[in-house]
Amino acid sequence: MEWFRKLITRAAGWAAGTDADAEMAEEIRLHQQERAEELQRAGLSAQDAGRQARHEFGGALRAMEDSRSAWHLGWIEDLSTDLRYAARALVHDRTFAVTAMVSLALGIGVNTTIFSLAAEFLFSEPSVRDASTLAAVRLGGNSHADPEEFDYLRETGIFAGVTGYRDGEVNWRHGEISRRLFAFRVDPDFFQLLGVPLHAGRPIEPGDRDVALASHRFWRTALNADPAALNRTLTIDGRPHTLIGILPERHRTVFGFGLSPDLYLPVETERGRLALYVRLRPGVSRPEALERTRAAAKELDRRYPGPHYKRAGRVEVVGLAGLEWLGNRKMVPLATFFAMLLAAVNLVLLIACVNVASLMLARASARTQELAIRASIGAGRGRIVRQLLAESLLLAMVATGAGIALNLLLTGLLNDVALPIPAPIRLQIQPDWRLLIYSVAIALGSAVAAGLLPALQAARFAGPSALLNRGNRQAGSGSRLRSVLVTAQVAVTFLVLATAILFLRNLARSSAINPGFEVDRLVWASMRIVPERYPSGESVAPLVAAALQRLRALPGVEAASAVRVVPFNDQETHGGAIRVDGVEVPISRIHNQVSPGYFHTMGIGMVDGREFQERESGVAVVNEEFARRVFGPANAVGRTIQLFGGRAITITGICRNTKFMTIGEDDKPALYEPYTVADGDRRHKLAWMIRTRTSPAGLVRASEQALLDLDPAAAVEAKPMQSAMGFALLPSQLGAGLMGAMGLLGLTLASIGLYGVLVYGVARRRREIGVRMALGARTTDVLGLVLRDAAWIMGVGMAIGSAASFFVTRPLTMFLVSGLTPADPLSYVSVAAVLALVAMAASLAPSLRAIHVNPTEALRSE
Amino acid sequence: MPPSSNAEFLPGTLYMLVLRSLAGGPLHGYAIAKRIKDCSAEALSVEEGSLYPALNRMLAKGWLAAEWGVSESNRKARFYRLTPAGRNQLQKESREFDRLVRGIQLVMKNA
Repeated sequence: MEWFRKLITRAAGWAAGTDADAEMAEEIRLHQQERAEELQRAGLSAQDAGRQARHEFGGALRAMEDSRSAWHLGWIEDLSTDLRYAARALVHDRTFAVTAMVSLALGIGVNTTIFSLAAEFLFSEPSVRDASTLAAVRLGGNSHADPEEFDYLRETGIFAGVTGYRDGEVNWRHGEISRRLFAFRVDPDFFQLLGVPLHAGRPIEPGDRDVALASHRFWRTALNADPAALNRTLTIDGRPHTLIGILPERHRTVFGFGLSPDLYLPVETERGRLALYVRLRPGVSRPEALERTRAAAKELDRRYPGPHYKRAGRVEVVGLAGLEWLGNRKMVPLATFFAMLLAAVNLVLLIACVNVASLMLARASARTQELAIRASIGAGRGRIVRQLLAESLLLAMVATGAGIALNLLLTGLLNDVALPIPAPIRLQIQPDWRLLIYSVAIALGSAVAAGLLPALQAARFAGPSALLNRGNRQAGSGSRLRSVLVTAQVAVTFLVLATAILFLRNLARSSAINPGFEVDRLVWASMRIVPERYPSGESVAPLVAAALQRLRALPGVEAASAVRVVPFNDQETHGGAIRVDGVEVPISRIHNQVSPGYFHTMGIGMVDGREFQERESGVAVVNEEFARRVFGPANAVGRTIQLFGGRAITITGICRNTKFMTIGEDDKPALYEPYTVADGDRRHKLAWMIRTRTSPAGLVRASEQALLDLDPAAAVEAKPMQSAMGFALLPSQLGAGLMGAMGLLGLTLASIGLYGVLVYGVARRRREIGVRMALGARTTDVLGLVLRDAAWIMGVGMAIGSAASFFVTRPLTMFLVSGLTPADPLSYVSVAAVLALVAMAASLAPSLRAIHVNPTEALRSE
Repeated sequence: MPPSSNAEFLPGTLYMLVLRSLAGGPLHGYAIAKRIKDCSAEALSVEEGSLYPALNRMLAKGWLAAEWGVSESNRKARFYRLTPAGRNQLQKESREFDRLVRGIQLVMKNA
């Protein structure tokens, strides 16, 4: 309050143009005049009275100064004075200011961008009303639940509401073409229970049929942002749907991770399995709800003993926001990955700060005189430190401003690109309070990291004596500190580089890994048919067969096969046990269905036995991993296993292992059955693999046309398998790309740091070098002088760096393909080699400068 | 921070004395000093070097308000007057001062 009154009073005085000092002087003059008059009345002469009055008053200036300080606004005002002075000092030394700001701004821009990315993935909340009382419920570890499970949970009344959605694809008939769209099908009460905000129109309500909500992006790009699009009819899966609403631009689904459906539709009458979400009752805590859900799961197990797992075996109630969401088991690798990235960007920023610190040290030694004068007219050590810190603070603030601009640019780009993966992921990074707080912390941290040591150092030597000895001692000590800083820089760079090289080697190794099939000669063709036209599985089967016939007949096609689970694009893992000779064997597996000839088409070799033939049923091919896990060393061919539900199948052959989701993954067990048309919703999605004789690119159009000829209403898409490997290398590419970029940035910054120290060392020792040369030192001796410095810095820095890397990179094993260990000597040797090369490059110019020192000139100067 | 440089004053009493001398109506700086001196039979004299800073601090605290006017000697002068907050402060300070003096007197009599 007092502070505020001071501010208002001063602002008012400033606005009214009153001069507080003049007023004060006026007041003091009045005081002295009155006193003098009184003294005169007591008998003194006018002159004596005046003198006496002034004498009694004492130091008028001091009184004014003290009065002024009564209106002082405290540290804020000190800070603004310091900053004003710092600004003047920086403008004065523009080269320094620009260099420092650019390196800090780069560091901070990249740093905050990674932060924004991490915050988007880890902390963003879904667009719903009160996310804190929403939760995803998992029964038996499953995210999806059956209709009877929904009904029972609703019946128990544990929750204020139970709802769900299912994601999938639909066809949108637009003019003459069909487009495949990604849609969420939701329970009728989904929007009401979650409270999803809309941009326009109304949400889906109970009783709605054949209605659709469009995403903002779909409305913008496909419907031309037409405001009249509401109530328009969209032909979706062959049926007219009324567009009743448009979602806001920033809509985040409850699923998270930027998954963005084009449409929201109501679930069909036949509901099927839906992802299970609940709204907690007010006053019911999550642990309480979990307890009651467990009991409900037990009851479900008793009532519907259907599934091959116990629902009560693993019941989870996972919050959708905050730490609870982070603690969710699926988030751990992602959180670790971002933690590593953030650590790396902060190390890079630290390297940049050290460069700035090094520049400030050099500057401080040039400013010894100025600082000494300030010290000798009464600036305390604290005052000088504060002043110098204000300079680094100002630098860091301006750099953070520029860094945030860079952040907005980069995140804008990230928001606009569609990631090259077979899932509609769209980021919606927005600057928010988290970014603000983080940036302020980063700015302050950088200011301290870059400014504190130089400021302390400068203040230490800014005694009045510095005026006399012209700061030689200080320069010596400053250069020692700079060497220490650069050594630290080298150590940190080693660590960042070691990590980067690890990821690059990981990428190289993953790229070399064969996915287990011949990617180069494959075309993947897919078709999504309109459900209305194919009421049952039987009606789809002829289409699949006809398509195979047509595809095989295309010129240049060697073989073709229908497939249910396309590697690297679909993921379908089945848990649960199978029975072998009456014994239950738990095994989680890829459960695929393929038409005969699949293994030949894909180029997957058979290890034992044979592929199944046309019209064979009750047979399967398993991969080596499956055979190894289930049968051990015994021969699997000819054995019979029982699947869930008692279906018995005989193994006709064993094929080689292949990769399914990422190249770096461990081999997964897989089971291939003869192709049958899927039931329910999934029967609308068909896929074929085509093996070509020549380059696959030429067959893309022909394959699409062949499929369109069969059903012009279907959404058809074909692409070379090579470009449909989206997820395959993504983790390795992402890791290698990001860490490689950071390693490069760190390396550049550190080499600038080393260069600076060496150049500065040569300049400082010019006289010494001159003397040595005058006394007969050869070029090699002088070179040795410079290179010895460089060698010391590099040697010590690398020793510390490699020790640190050894411990720090250990937890990274989880991101690497098997067989690659973080503490790999080859990584360390290559980092050391790169650093040594860069060090040599950085010492080239300083060395040349040293051997070209002219002894006579060097001795004459100073 | 209360002024403590004036050895003739008990520490922290300058505010109270200034507030008290303004209780009767607005005064300018010199008049305040004179009022304190006169009323104390010249026992207390306010050092000018601390009076004006103190007045400014009291303005900043909101105990006083000031405006320019004309003095009895027909000069332009800055007059200080109590605000309601200043009146409260005066009551509080004089109550505490009374308590302190009584305490000291008791000790001096009985110890």
